[in-house]
Amino acid sequence: MASTSLSASFQIRFSASSLISPHDLCHLSPHANGWKSSHTTESYKLGRTIQRSLRGSSVVSPMALAANASQDTDDMYDDLFKKYGKVVYKSSDQKSPTAEADDDAECLSCKPFILYTSASDIKLLFVKPLVYWTKFFLITTAFSRPQIDAIRNRINDLAEKQYGKFATGDTKANSWTLLDFGDVVVHIFLPEQREIYNLEEFYANATPIELPFENEQRFGR
Amino acid sequence: MIQPQTHLNVADNSGARELMCIRIIGASNRRYAHIGDVIVAVIKDAVPNMPLERSEVVRAVIVRTCKELKRDNGMIIRYDDNAAVVIDQEGNPKGTRVFGAIARELRQFNFTKIVSLAPEVL
Repeated sequence: MASTSLSASFQIRFSASSLISPHDLCHLSPHANGWKSSHTTESYKLGRTIQRSLRGSSVVSPMALAANASQDTDDMYDDLFKKYGKVVYKSSDQKSPTAEADDDAECLSCKPFILYTSASDIKLLFVKPLVYWTKFFLITTAFSRPQIDAIRNRINDLAEKQYGKFATGDTKANSWTLLDFGDVVVHIFLPEQREIYNLEEFYANATPIELPFENEQRFGR
Repeated sequence: MIQPQTHLNVADNSGARELMCIRIIGASNRRYAHIGDVIVAVIKDAVPNMPLERSEVVRAVIVRTCKELKRDNGMIIRYDDNAAVVIDQEGNPKGTRVFGAIARELRQFNFTKIVSLAPEVL
């Protein structure tokens, strides 16, 4: 957090110093210094204030201008960072869970398998904020071991063909079958085991991600 | 460095409290077991009114050892106790929650189930 706001401060300071350079004192183009769109209005306001403070001062030499501006604007920058430091951090570093989900194409691989294997009660959890070792948990229920085997084979085939990934984890149907694809971990439970282990409760703080096909009609059940 | 006759704590809520290693699985004549190894153990102490009882023979995965675990990057992890998680023949943990910190090496040994039940992974 601290380092990001620091870099942001450098960015703003650098831009401000270029704004008050004698070449383009009145030239206020917000995009000139590569400002992000979220900062555009802010930079514009900032430039305005600097310009106003410069107009008020009688000194015209660029060196004095810079010194004066730095005195005047230091407090203003601090206020700005207090106000917008967090926003800057969030927009640059963190994505919303759904955006991450969109990024990760592997998540979409669950779609075919649900449509063809009638696995039920599918939950996709975004667990990256809670555990470092994976990003997504896909928890499903199957009602028999042959069905678990079918789901397992189908996910494996799909991952292998479309994404070139191979699962580690269980190699045969188990009452709790786990497929580990690295960023995505698939848990296939029998109903009884799902209740016993209750992973959803353990990861209750994780963000559940809406699956796009949840409302579509499933067959087989 | 777990060998037969070593006593281990149990790091889950399966109902066992203390185990004694009686055999290391996976090698015919190995002397010591480390983190991620499966052992056969006997329950020396158990919580009353739980499915597991004293003097029962179970399988368990070692999750913490007092002997240092060295990683390739130079990191060394050493725990205060020797601890294991009771599993069944299929590899599913008998308890539903794992207690304490465990090492990420367990995932490479295909014990991702234990890792996903653990509160902290080092």
